[in-house]
Amino acid sequence: MIKLALYGKGGVGKSTTICNVALAMAEQGLRVMLIGCDPKADSTLSLRRGRPLSTVLDLVRERRGDLALRDMVLEGSGGVLCVEAGGPTPGMGCAGRGIITALETLAEKGAFSVYRPDVVLYDVLGDVVCGGFSMPMRTGHADRVYVLTSGENMSIYAAGNIAMAVERFQGRNYATLGGFILNRRGVKNEDEKVEELARSFHSSIVGRLDRSELVQEAEERGMTLLEAFPDEQVTEEYRCLARSMLSGYAEEWSC
Amino acid sequence: MRRSHRILPVYTADVSGVCSALYELGGMVVIHDPSGCNSTYNTHDETRWYRQDSLIFISGLSEIDAILGNDEKFVADIVSAARELRPRFIALVRSPIPYMNGTDFPALARLIEAQTGIPAFFVLTSGMHDYVCGAGDALAELAWRFVRPPERVRPRSVNLLGVTPLDFAAEGSAEAMRRALEERGWQVRSCWAMGDDLDALACSGEAQVNLVVSAVGLPAAQVLRERFGTPWVAGAPIGAFADELCAALECAAETGACSAPCARRVQGRSGPVVTLVGEPVSMGSLAAALSLWFDCPTRVLCPLERHEGLLAPSDCAVRGEEGVENALKDAEIVVADPMYRYICPETVRFFELPHWAMSGRCYQKRLRSLFALTEEQCGTILRKI
Repeated sequence: MIKLALYGKGGVGKSTTICNVALAMAEQGLRVMLIGCDPKADSTLSLRRGRPLSTVLDLVRERRGDLALRDMVLEGSGGVLCVEAGGPTPGMGCAGRGIITALETLAEKGAFSVYRPDVVLYDVLGDVVCGGFSMPMRTGHADRVYVLTSGENMSIYAAGNIAMAVERFQGRNYATLGGFILNRRGVKNEDEKVEELARSFHSSIVGRLDRSELVQEAEERGMTLLEAFPDEQVTEEYRCLARSMLSGYAEEWSC
Repeated sequence: MRRSHRILPVYTADVSGVCSALYELGGMVVIHDPSGCNSTYNTHDETRWYRQDSLIFISGLSEIDAILGNDEKFVADIVSAARELRPRFIALVRSPIPYMNGTDFPALARLIEAQTGIPAFFVLTSGMHDYVCGAGDALAELAWRFVRPPERVRPRSVNLLGVTPLDFAAEGSAEAMRRALEERGWQVRSCWAMGDDLDALACSGEAQVNLVVSAVGLPAAQVLRERFGTPWVAGAPIGAFADELCAALECAAETGACSAPCARRVQGRSGPVVTLVGEPVSMGSLAAALSLWFDCPTRVLCPLERHEGLLAPSDCAVRGEEGVENALKDAEIVVADPMYRYICPETVRFFELPHWAMSGRCYQKRLRSLFALTEEQCGTILRKI
């Protein structure tokens, strides 16, 4: 089982990217599970075509111990298995602790042994602000962490923080840094800035995604780019990114 | 309000369960908690505290270290102490604050093991479960890590699994169990974990059968079953039940099948039902002995979390004070810790059996060894009460 986590500053395009990557991997014949680790529970929206999905924490809250795995997992576009960790009421509780409880609940219920996904993708909210948000990179969860960033300074700053956290946790056998993904926003010297960031962590840019109105248009239609515009050049960039993220796991899936 | 307690204390928690299970094995137990005082976990729950040393420490977690996630201090303190004391192993135990913080204990254990060369592990605790969970998981961890694959299996030999003062506080209980088995031709290879050291436990793979004498012993028995195929039998050799239990051991040795004779007892038909409250294996075994001696019907009420496969059809798992109180409403004869007397109907005939995991030192002078109970004593007591 391949387990990958995507981190990055809020609003940089993580959920859009991960939904397209998940579908691109599913197109290759892989069984993919996408776990949204964001209290807003919107990571899997474009794969669900408007179908509702109870979050793991909502189920834990409502049913305590009496909850079934099938209530937490919804099969979305391309057969991608969608899960949303969920979180506390905004302004209350502890979102980070919520992520831990949600992921532990999934493990306790045997999510991976029951659904047997080939790939598990974690879409993680923003920065590594507390222990809870490092959960997806802990032993037993993701093997590799990818960081999505644009060339905007705040995004690069957050990406650097995330990469530092990954580095800091190496003594604990946590996930390794898989690389950076550049989501272009049309900022001056954008590629150079992110390349410099990657170099400073002895890493590289594993995918470059062009700014395109088609991404927004697909979102407006409530679907992924791969479904709305399967033959466009920008769509191919997501497929290429998916192959790149799988590199080193199996030749037939990677580029 | 179903889980709230107005009168009864709660059972000893998982954290103290770990300390109790590992107390005599030469390891170091570190509880990550702000309390600098060991009495919270040990003095009250540990019969051996004043007469036998054990390396049990509280980390003294500070507010700022908890907020900032300063795990390095925790690790450094343990590494420093371990280098000086050279324990056989290091067990990390989690109290509610690091549980809420989501501290990654398996990762910290790996760090400590790498830095000290001493086996280190985390026992899944939170301070929110009962002692059976903590003590059971601690012994299971030993079964995974320290028991060597056997060169040969010794016929008619057993390990006693789940022996802690929390269930068997009366002086000489472990020895009495050994004697009861040896008198019936069974040699005890090791006792988990009173009276034997880690080296004795490491040879446990040589036993032909594992005898689970309390629910605490079941997880370790399941690990040893998985690792070496050793069958387990659940029951404690109490009174007349000891013969039946040894017959089950013979059967397990012959067929390799696991069984819980404490949950397969034959119901008596004479007189009112005797209700026993507490840990499922020891109370089930005592119930079996009473049925054999007096042909009385029995039922066990188990207020503890882990009892799967250990209760008879007539038994009942109950949660919280309200659950026990409701279940006791129609009881006529009750055998339980004296604390339960306060939630029993006044008409109940109550037989006191202090249970350390429930009342600690409160009834220390009235402790009875389950293994010293005779037919005559029980008959006299049941008739008198």
